[in-house]
Amino acid sequence: MKKEFFENEIGEAYVKATLDNGLKIFILEKPQYKSAYALFGTKYGSIDTIFNVDGKETAVPEGIAHFLEHKLFESEDGDAFTKFAKTGAYANAFTSFDKTCYLFSCSDRFYENLDILLSFVQSPYFTKETVEKEQGIIGQEIRMYDDSPGWRVMFNMLMAMYHNHPVRIDIAGTVESIAKIDYELLFDCYNTFYNPSNMFICIAGNVDTDACLEQIEKSIKPSETKEIIRIKPEEPYEVVKHYTEQSLEVAQPMFCFGLKDEFSENSLSVKERIIMALLLNLISGDASPLYKELINKGLINDEFDSEHFCGDGYSALIFEGESSDPKAVAEEIKKEIERLKTEGIDKKLFSAIRASMYGSAIRLFNNVESIAMHLTDCAMNDTGLFDELKYLKSVTLEEVSRKLKSLDTENTVLSVINPKN
Amino acid sequence: MSLEILKLSRGVEGLFIKNSRFNTTLISYNFYLPLQKDTVASNALLPFILTSCSKKYPDFSRLNYKLAKLYGARLNATAEKYGDYQLLKMTISVINDKFSFDEESLVKNASQLLLNLIFEPNLVDNSFTPEDLEREKRKAIEHIKGEISEKRVFAKKRLIEEMYKNEAYGLPKCGTIEDVQKITGESLYNTWKNMLESAFVRVQVVGKKVPEGFFEDIAERFSKIKRKNITKCTESAPTTPIKTPQNITDNMDVAQGKLCLGFSSEIYGNDDTSLAVMVMTDIFGGGPYSRLFSNVREKLSLCYYCSASAIRQKGLITVESGIETENCEKAEKEILNQLSIVKKGKFTDFEFESSIKSITDSLNSYNDSQNSIDLWYAIKINNKKLYSPEDIAKKISKITREDVINAAKGVKLHTVYKLLPKEASK
Repeated sequence: MKKEFFENEIGEAYVKATLDNGLKIFILEKPQYKSAYALFGTKYGSIDTIFNVDGKETAVPEGIAHFLEHKLFESEDGDAFTKFAKTGAYANAFTSFDKTCYLFSCSDRFYENLDILLSFVQSPYFTKETVEKEQGIIGQEIRMYDDSPGWRVMFNMLMAMYHNHPVRIDIAGTVESIAKIDYELLFDCYNTFYNPSNMFICIAGNVDTDACLEQIEKSIKPSETKEIIRIKPEEPYEVVKHYTEQSLEVAQPMFCFGLKDEFSENSLSVKERIIMALLLNLISGDASPLYKELINKGLINDEFDSEHFCGDGYSALIFEGESSDPKAVAEEIKKEIERLKTEGIDKKLFSAIRASMYGSAIRLFNNVESIAMHLTDCAMNDTGLFDELKYLKSVTLEEVSRKLKSLDTENTVLSVINPKN
Repeated sequence: MSLEILKLSRGVEGLFIKNSRFNTTLISYNFYLPLQKDTVASNALLPFILTSCSKKYPDFSRLNYKLAKLYGARLNATAEKYGDYQLLKMTISVINDKFSFDEESLVKNASQLLLNLIFEPNLVDNSFTPEDLEREKRKAIEHIKGEISEKRVFAKKRLIEEMYKNEAYGLPKCGTIEDVQKITGESLYNTWKNMLESAFVRVQVVGKKVPEGFFEDIAERFSKIKRKNITKCTESAPTTPIKTPQNITDNMDVAQGKLCLGFSSEIYGNDDTSLAVMVMTDIFGGGPYSRLFSNVREKLSLCYYCSASAIRQKGLITVESGIETENCEKAEKEILNQLSIVKKGKFTDFEFESSIKSITDSLNSYNDSQNSIDLWYAIKINNKKLYSPEDIAKKISKITREDVINAAKGVKLHTVYKLLPKEASK
């Protein structure tokens, strides 16, 4: 096992360990806390639909990573929920575009819970019957999202932004695609992606690092390291279309306005992501001139928000909210980006926003769940937990201005959910 | 750790919840007012307008800039129903001074800022300004309209409305659109004055230490106000049982239906009287070990979610589920069947013990979240003692199967609310 220790000036420290089989483990101790949070994850999400292992290329139905997540809770000796119920821990799992994670949080019996987590994620058990039954349950989940305007407005936008990148597909797939999932396919995907070399464990809270490492090392099943080549179809620079709409039962139009960023082969560095976050705040954060204008014109309300959406092969600036006139909001955002390009960024606002982001980066250490989630980002992107604090001190206005100039306000999508009738 | 309540003025309490594990300090003002039809909307607008601008920061954008400079201090406002009361809550959270690169104290600055926002709004001639008022009214109206978008939340809101038609608890927490439209700059000024004069107030600090002179400053502000008719936060009225349960159905253009059931509970009230209801509701429809999850969802696949929760101070238990129309009747029958199993005491030892463990494990985590611990104490206003989460965990672990059965006995179906796709209307 290879062990590295990291600490920083705000008084936090963590260990990163790598087992011989490639499994990465991140642990941050919080001895003054009562609770702890642990997460066992794999770099396997909805976008991993075509892959190559040992020279063999496989294409799988959309939604299979999420399907597998549901199924993994069952084991031959009862489901994981039942086991966690005996200790009182809270347990859950989630699938995103690029990862699947299983987690628990507790204030007592941590090592028992860790044992349950390690064991069920490593013991897939499904039969033809249980797979068929799950198709019904997930079908209902998909239909629930069909009624969620917040979910639909986002995926409609992604479908209009990406031609081929699988990020355009709903994480749970469709009723049709999950119907194609069977027992063998699930095992194929499990054996490919649930290999320790593709996985990570993140723990934060009242735990002892050495005790955790010893327990994990003992219970990880031996395996051969596998190299997974993820095959991403070519993605054109331009968006598919600039406008998309749907009608649902909402009171006023909802919108999601996306600006497609230039494609980069690798996922973005911490510094690049900080620059994007700063930019978003400068363009439309609640202290920005644009935000003030949109509120005063009655075009947005407290639901307005923005995010930098990025991952393997995709990056976009997203602005979303409710508005009586989504097209006017989109135009104002474009205009503001162009104004900033010519007039430059306000220095005072830049330093205030940088201070604000610095405060948020310190705040994240308040909570064991947010620490564990940030350790997950470290595992996924091969970055350090303290990188953000470090770069926030050094990032300059010139670096942000340079990125600003590259934003293409012609390469955008506006997705709108209109009220019915 | 025993906490000491400070009396700052008539009906104004200060509470320091010492907790050194966080990098931030949280300050919260909690104003309790009676929940009433003619004041609900206007009261609910106050925390939002007060935290959007002030005499010193008449422009909300300048205020947001100031917050950014305070290393991203977070200002938050909510207006919630708490039994038959309205709780107007305003908080500020800021990173501790040791992380700052500046000379000035961040915590002191942030606490002064919130104090000024509450006591010195942006007023002209005893009235809120038209710009501020119209902005906040528009946002409030859009928020009320927007409730229809999340069908799960909307369905529960409709259930409560139908259950408490002519009672205060049936009022929407921010009032109706018509109520909001009626608010004027002058009327809101009077609402603000009334809040300062008559609300029961709890001001709390969660963190390493209290900023210097903090509680003294608040006492000083209140000493200039004539405190009268102070809200007595006594018990809320329990839910009246109904002879024949009501059936209400709304139809909408949706893919999936929602089924909500409301029950009255004979046992109700605070932590001294109603903890058994908490355990009973959890066995019925709490975690994955519960009767509803393991039977209605997992075994019978009748819904994607199905869970129960209790509003103990009102003696109210609700069940929420997402269903396909064709399963609606079956699901309803099965939910009631699971309740009767709990009533008969036919739940397993596993279910009982899992529930006790899950509740106590979660209570023992409370001190690890600044917001949770603040809210915990903010609503501990009418118990015999100021119980900590650990105190309640101890009480919960003493609850017996008999207590649970006894609590379930007095649970009666009151209203069945369905939100169904249009083509399914009968």
